[in-house]
Amino acid sequence: MNNKTLLLASTLASMTLSSTYATMAFAGENLLGYTKGSEPLPKGALEFYQIFTQRSDKGQGSYSALDSITELEYGVSNRFTVSGALIGRSVDTKGLIIGGYLPQEKTQGLTLSGFEATAKYAFLTPALNDIGLSTSVGIEYDTIDKHSGQDKETISINLGLQAQKYFMDGQMVWLGNLDMETTHATRAKIDGINDEEEWPTNPEMEIGLGMSTGLSYRFASNWSFGAEALYEMEYETEVGLERWSLFAGPSIHYGDKHFWSTLTFLSQISGGGETYENQSDTNLHLIEKTKQEIKFKIGYNF
Amino acid sequence: MKSIAPLFLLPVAAITCPAYGIQYLSVQQAQTALYPQANQFTENFIELTATQKEQIESISDVRQRWKQQKTWKAYKGDEFLGWFIVDKVIGKHEFITYAAAISAQGEILNIEIMDYRETYGGEVNEASWKSHFKGVDKNSPLELEQDIPNISGATLSCRNVTNGVKRLLALYEVALKP
Repeated sequence: MNNKTLLLASTLASMTLSSTYATMAFAGENLLGYTKGSEPLPKGALEFYQIFTQRSDKGQGSYSALDSITELEYGVSNRFTVSGALIGRSVDTKGLIIGGYLPQEKTQGLTLSGFEATAKYAFLTPALNDIGLSTSVGIEYDTIDKHSGQDKETISINLGLQAQKYFMDGQMVWLGNLDMETTHATRAKIDGINDEEEWPTNPEMEIGLGMSTGLSYRFASNWSFGAEALYEMEYETEVGLERWSLFAGPSIHYGDKHFWSTLTFLSQISGGGETYENQSDTNLHLIEKTKQEIKFKIGYNF
Repeated sequence: MKSIAPLFLLPVAAITCPAYGIQYLSVQQAQTALYPQANQFTENFIELTATQKEQIESISDVRQRWKQQKTWKAYKGDEFLGWFIVDKVIGKHEFITYAAAISAQGEILNIEIMDYRETYGGEVNEASWKSHFKGVDKNSPLELEQDIPNISGATLSCRNVTNGVKRLLALYEVALKP
């Protein structure tokens, strides 16, 4: 067993011991913040990723949340990769109470909250075929509600389809994704809040659909500029279409032989579904989403 | 659970080591590698006209990015051995610089990778991979995975080097052929 295999095996083993599996990985070098590529890692390759997403501004009070994903991805074959990740979350919310979503003010420092595991298979590769196409399946276990910072046990399964096409010999890249996520969640009781409207503790099921598309253009050696749009919908058993949102924004990417990094800023262009009481921006969805997200990714190839 | 913010930052700090690309060969070293018997190289940089660029693209079906193509004539005494051409193609992160030797009859004698800075695919510099270009000419299909082996993780690099050689063979037809 070589060093890479040993490292991967120990990581996956530690996750298994924690009775969890990991999910939605980011697979290979990320030119954009949200829209993923279809290129697989080659057999035996091992890559490390650290991803931070800051979500801020719900239009009232102050709201800031940070999501962290620390991930390892391994090329099992030239078409099939597996990855495992640790999820961390922090939430700081003041001056805004939303029944069922933000039941109280909360300051939660960055905390290990869950795990995810993903497998990805590439049917077509963009440099060999006219278009690259891959599919992914992931499972995620989380213990903290990403919106409120409250305790909430969540199990999600994510199915994804990634397309990628090269233009201008690869100087410009188009990416497109379709995703479907099913989630089972159970909120933990909060001391002092016994109203089910304020904080429902009955298990719930949700289905989320997402589609994103983007272009990345390499304007200088190692440097690419990109732009992408992300449309998401979420359906819940009782209310049907619970929310939808459209985000769009630019990315800047640097990549070299061993290291890459991507910084993305997305702003909510429009959104709909439920609104909170006295919400001023009614053309946005601000209960589960924020006005903007900033994502920073860093990757290292071993 | 305890706050683990410092733990998340550890790997970020650990991976901030610089990366270095590999320059395999200088122009002179590449000339010697491709024409070991040559004792003279005459610089003969080609300035392509718009029409010539279009002709190259039409023949090869590959975009001719450069107006100037750096070529040299290789001689052993008075004997013309062939053309030495330095070219660049797009890699995943940076340009890949390579050199090709084309005989007076328009046949690839060999290629050398001069500069490769990509994450995967260092095998492009192995003789076994480069040897697949030996003997190809304007009539060779040069299809990646059929005529030229693909290297996993470096498919874009393999495709663009293969297309680059196609383009140089078209350059020979348009601007170098006696």
